[in-house]
Amino acid sequence: MMMNQNQQGSTQNIASSVDPNSVENRYVVDASQSQASSYFPSTTGSGAVSWATHGVNNQSTENGNLSNASYHHEQHTESHVNSLQDGLNATSLTSSSNLGTANVAQDYSGYTSYPNSSDPYAYGSTAYPGYYSSYQQQPNHSYPQPVGAYQNSGAPYQPISSFQNSGSYVGPASYSATYYNPGDYQTAGGYPSSGYSHQTTSWNEGNYTNYTSHQYSNYTSDTSGAYSSGTAPATSLQYQQQYKQWADYYSQTEVSCAPGTENLSVASTSNQVLQPPGVTAGYPTAHSQPAPIYHQSWQQDSSSSHVSSLQPAATSNGSHDSYWKHGTPSFQNRQVSPVQPHYSKPLEQKTSYNNFQDQHKAACPQGPSSQYAIGQQMAPSYQSPPVQTSPQLDNRRVSKLQIPTNPRIASNLALGLPKTDKDSSTATAAAKPAYIGVSLAKSNEKVVSHADSRVEPGTFPKSLCGYVERALARCKGDAEIAASQAVMGERWNLVKAVIIKKANSDGTLFSRDWDVEPLFPKPTTEAVTKDLPTSTPLSALSKNKRSPSRRTKSRWEPLPEEKPIDKLASSTNEIVKFSGWIHANEKDRKHISGSVSKEDRLNNIKFHLSEQKSASKSFQRPVKRQRLSADGFKTEDNGDASSDSDKEQSLTSYYSGAIALANSPEERMRRENRSKRFDRGQGNRSETNRFKAKNAGTGNLYVRRASALLISKSFDDGGSRAVEDIDWDALTVKGTCQEIEKRYLRLTSAPDPSTVRPEEVLEKALQMVQNSQKNYLYKCDQLKSIRQDLTVQRIRNQLTAKVYETHARLAIENGDLPEYNQCQSQLKILYAEGIEGCCMEFSAYHLLCVILHSNNKRELLSLMSRLSDKAKQDKAVKHALAVRAAVSSGNYIMFFRLYKTAPNLNTCLMDLYVEKMRFKAVSCMSRSYRPTVPVSYVAQVLGFTGVSPTNEECEERDSDGLEECVEWLKAHGASLVTDANGEVQLDAKASSSTLFMPEPEDAVSHGDANLAVNDFLARASSQPS
Amino acid sequence: MAYMSMGEAHRRITDYLNRFSDAVSSQDVASLKQLLSFSSNSPSLLSLADSLNVFQDANRLIKQSDNYSPFADITVPLFRSLQHYRTGNLVDAYLAFEKSANAFIQEFRNWESAWALEALYVIAYEIRVLAERADRELASNGKSPEKLKAAGSFLMKVFGVLAGKGSKRVGALYLTCQLFKIYFKLGTVHLCRSVIRSIETARIFDFEEFPKRDKVTYMYYTGRLEVFNENFPAADQKLSYALINCNPRSEANIRSVSAVLIVMILKYLIPVKLSIGILPKDWLLEKYNLVEYSNIVQALRRGDLRLLRHALEEHEDQFLRSGVYLVLEKLELQVYQRLFKKIYIIQKQKDPSKAHQMKLDVIVKALKWLEMDMDVDEVECIVAILIHKNLVKGYFAHKSKVVVLSKQDPFPKLNGKPVNS
Repeated sequence: MMMNQNQQGSTQNIASSVDPNSVENRYVVDASQSQASSYFPSTTGSGAVSWATHGVNNQSTENGNLSNASYHHEQHTESHVNSLQDGLNATSLTSSSNLGTANVAQDYSGYTSYPNSSDPYAYGSTAYPGYYSSYQQQPNHSYPQPVGAYQNSGAPYQPISSFQNSGSYVGPASYSATYYNPGDYQTAGGYPSSGYSHQTTSWNEGNYTNYTSHQYSNYTSDTSGAYSSGTAPATSLQYQQQYKQWADYYSQTEVSCAPGTENLSVASTSNQVLQPPGVTAGYPTAHSQPAPIYHQSWQQDSSSSHVSSLQPAATSNGSHDSYWKHGTPSFQNRQVSPVQPHYSKPLEQKTSYNNFQDQHKAACPQGPSSQYAIGQQMAPSYQSPPVQTSPQLDNRRVSKLQIPTNPRIASNLALGLPKTDKDSSTATAAAKPAYIGVSLAKSNEKVVSHADSRVEPGTFPKSLCGYVERALARCKGDAEIAASQAVMGERWNLVKAVIIKKANSDGTLFSRDWDVEPLFPKPTTEAVTKDLPTSTPLSALSKNKRSPSRRTKSRWEPLPEEKPIDKLASSTNEIVKFSGWIHANEKDRKHISGSVSKEDRLNNIKFHLSEQKSASKSFQRPVKRQRLSADGFKTEDNGDASSDSDKEQSLTSYYSGAIALANSPEERMRRENRSKRFDRGQGNRSETNRFKAKNAGTGNLYVRRASALLISKSFDDGGSRAVEDIDWDALTVKGTCQEIEKRYLRLTSAPDPSTVRPEEVLEKALQMVQNSQKNYLYKCDQLKSIRQDLTVQRIRNQLTAKVYETHARLAIENGDLPEYNQCQSQLKILYAEGIEGCCMEFSAYHLLCVILHSNNKRELLSLMSRLSDKAKQDKAVKHALAVRAAVSSGNYIMFFRLYKTAPNLNTCLMDLYVEKMRFKAVSCMSRSYRPTVPVSYVAQVLGFTGVSPTNEECEERDSDGLEECVEWLKAHGASLVTDANGEVQLDAKASSSTLFMPEPEDAVSHGDANLAVNDFLARASSQPS
Repeated sequence: MAYMSMGEAHRRITDYLNRFSDAVSSQDVASLKQLLSFSSNSPSLLSLADSLNVFQDANRLIKQSDNYSPFADITVPLFRSLQHYRTGNLVDAYLAFEKSANAFIQEFRNWESAWALEALYVIAYEIRVLAERADRELASNGKSPEKLKAAGSFLMKVFGVLAGKGSKRVGALYLTCQLFKIYFKLGTVHLCRSVIRSIETARIFDFEEFPKRDKVTYMYYTGRLEVFNENFPAADQKLSYALINCNPRSEANIRSVSAVLIVMILKYLIPVKLSIGILPKDWLLEKYNLVEYSNIVQALRRGDLRLLRHALEEHEDQFLRSGVYLVLEKLELQVYQRLFKKIYIIQKQKDPSKAHQMKLDVIVKALKWLEMDMDVDEVECIVAILIHKNLVKGYFAHKSKVVVLSKQDPFPKLNGKPVNS
């Protein structure tokens, strides 16, 4: 880890030194790092082959550029080691260490193949530089294209060199960097290094934006939640998601490798996202955001207008090798045409997705596979039917947008990151798209689709909005969705509209606007909150397969909200799976890709299909591993970090590191500021803070909890952390339920705040129970649920003591010793913490319980030795001690006197011992008395007659008591005689040999009569109150 | 600490390592013991700890040399533990020491003979003491003390190593005793049962074969366990064995230690003996300064219920802590018996013919003199209990409220048998 950090730090430093002013340079450096890492892996891994083929040019360029390579490589290796567990690695491919590299290598190979297929060597380094240069000149154009082109060139790794050469080419550099980072991220799984932290923060934000911007509504929500919260913990869950995204990204890249099929797959994913929205109504702000981002990036990077971007692309293509040219022209042309096919197909896919989501089935793997298949089919169709209608275009754009947005985002990242977190996120997203773009480049048709995405920034937002609206509409469509959701949707729409307007009016300002935008935060926060719950469960569960869809049902989330989230999550899952699948394919592709040409696409498709199964399997694993690695990573980080905020920071850093974004000085400053914010313990970005006001910090809470969970997890895994260091506060739920009555249900998962009652309500609930006329079972149930809510919220105060005391008394009254013992043990702790309550009363109960029911001498001794002098003066305690003396000496007279004068509920506890005591007394009497003892005397000393009634015999007269005593004696085998005066006498001598303890009539096999339901119910219901 | 040169530090470390490897290769337990005994605070170990602080690279030193590297698993954590120990970081010292001890056990397992048994004893002792101190450190930091518990489970493992056949098994009892100490300290006495069972029922152990020292300790703890169980004859037998075998005259130089042991044993043996009707001589209580029992013995002699209750009240805390309170409390019935006997004797002096009929009123009056405010019913109950427990022979006539005593031995002596329950 240290090594990584150092390395990163060095890289950053270098970057800064190189071009403090130009962010781009830094980016370049980063890119080189990432590339380098990937390179190395590739060389070692299987990918090496393909690489070698293309490699010469690349290597040369790379070498020149990547002086850093070696150290980058180290980072990678380390990260890999850490992340051995990573899902990517797991997926299929190679050994753990290799895995990370392998993945990268794969991507690379894909890229390499790209060049080959499209224009094998033409796209060589030289061409690149030229391309880049052109880019710089025509920044705007290049940007959009880069998205596509980059991906195509995707060559990202070659671009690396080119990047460096171009130096100024900010966009590309960022691209490569982002791209690689994703790869690293996945592979490393645990790029734990601290160096990352800064980057991560930015990255997180960036992701957030990306997600939102992307059609991945699910993603956005999830990621945004996590990121917006900014806390590391959230990241863990989200991390996975991100990972998934990355995977998607990869998949996209892979797609690019196998142009036709891959594109399709990407499209499908995007489509999925889009389709869920179904309704064209404005999509949430997220979409709109992406669009703005685009504008910004474009504008910033390139001064030219968005529209012009297309042209520049063309120009750039021209400057570039034939490969590029092909890509660009095709790109433009296709933009229009390809749209339709993708669009239509995507819809189908989406529908399937929706269904899938709705079902909430874990069948994610299946889903993806099926989708994937569709996607493949689609691809072919796509190519053939180029002409499309404009509306379709929009749709397609959306789908494409995902990819394109990503590239753009990436470009944004380079520039935008410094400016806005969101931008950075977009940049990351952009990286993914870039890959796709590459694939497009290879296949002209694909290029076209990308072109669509590029088409017009203005249009994009609309499409995005439409997407959002659709998503909302879909949500509404679900019967399950609550009204609250609808409201949410409305808000979203509003926000969306605002955003769109702004985007249109101020394309350049979008990035900033986003950050500042109040409206935007709102929706995002909501999304975040929703997402967060899901995400947290994910992390908690750590079961990849479970996937959000299952989790959605968990109690964490309120029911109304659950569904939307579920859908999103499911979609994300699907995507992820899909990506995983793609990865698998990619592996294969590595080898294949080198030779793959357009013609080979079909083969690739087939290949994919055949491997779907394996891919899906691998997919599952990857996620788990990711988590593990993440945890491990965390632990390591934690080792250094002392405070929770530090941990969060480390997490965030981790993410950022994964991104490996270039660090510009301003960027760093911002990141530092952000991290400082973390230090303050808020764990919230400025965005989150804004949200906070509106959301009342729920999102924040979630995040914190997630982080705490992560920490605890990491503790389990690494064992390096002390339990005490876990931030339990962050795990604590804050209830929102206003119902006074609530049935007890033993929790099997994390509690859902919407079903947990806050303290005020619990107080009312306690009063309700106390005044209730219902039977014990009902009250017990209610009290248990109150106790649960208290525990879940970690409320430990007088109310807690009161609840336990109430329950303990109730249990004593009803002879429910097991329940009483539970309460007693809790009360003991509560009193020990200094919480006021009826301490004396309950220490008396405790004494009595030990004396009468456990007969544990050692426990009794320790209990007595711990009694304070004050306690010994207490009436109840004194009584209990007297009872103890009476019992230990067998003094039945004393016992029954105490029985009659017992304070509080001591009587009830003694009740449970009466039978034993009576039997002892009678056997003692029959041994000691001669010749007879009058039953009236026995009845009197044994408490059958007298002042105090027992539960069984309320207010009975002496005669009744006498009769009962006779019955009791007879039942116990005593021999009774009637003397001359007609008085019933106990024949002591005769009885001494015949006395026996009758088998209790209500004896049950498990030995605890209290558990005999029938009897218990009867007794409970017979209770007056 | 005075400044120590690097060379000096290096010399001391290598010296220690040489001694360690020499002791092992020559199977010299005595010197090995010294090398392991932290709590002895021997100057050589202290200076070694200082050396380790100066010369930080001791681990490499160990691993580079063929002489030292075989014991690297033992010495490396041992050094670390020593450093922590020296700096007062007892929790870490414990953790490292346990690691070292673990490695030592692995070695010990491989050694054919039991030559290193004494060294193992030292380790078992050190780990327990270290754990206790570490727990104190943890408790003072507000953390939950858990190291002693860990030491318990570790020693249980060591016990498993020794419990096999062969010459090593004689060491099992020492481990048992260390475990007893831990369990009694932790209050998890129930854990003793499994160890006791393996000692007392396993054929491989011939109890007489164990060292006497361990046997005494073992008997002491098992005797205490019997006191808790109120199994007085067994407690008497075990504690008496311990008392007899820790003979202060045999080893003059440890007389003081023995005296402490005797007091420890007597603290439990006296209540046990009282419970079975055997009273100690006054000189014994005086000699060992067991004054807390003197009033109780006095009460038993006189039948003075008040004195007994006062004595119990006075030393309640002490008796509760040592766990004999409940035992002493049960002496009350014997005091009643004594009281009744006195009444009987007085009645006999007055009127031998009616001496065996004791009126309840008389007893109540006698108790009144003792400031025991008890009514007739209560006293009747006490009488019934005494008869029931066979402390009084006879019967009670309810109608006439008279205790009719047996003409033969109305107040039987316990004579080493416990009161009937």
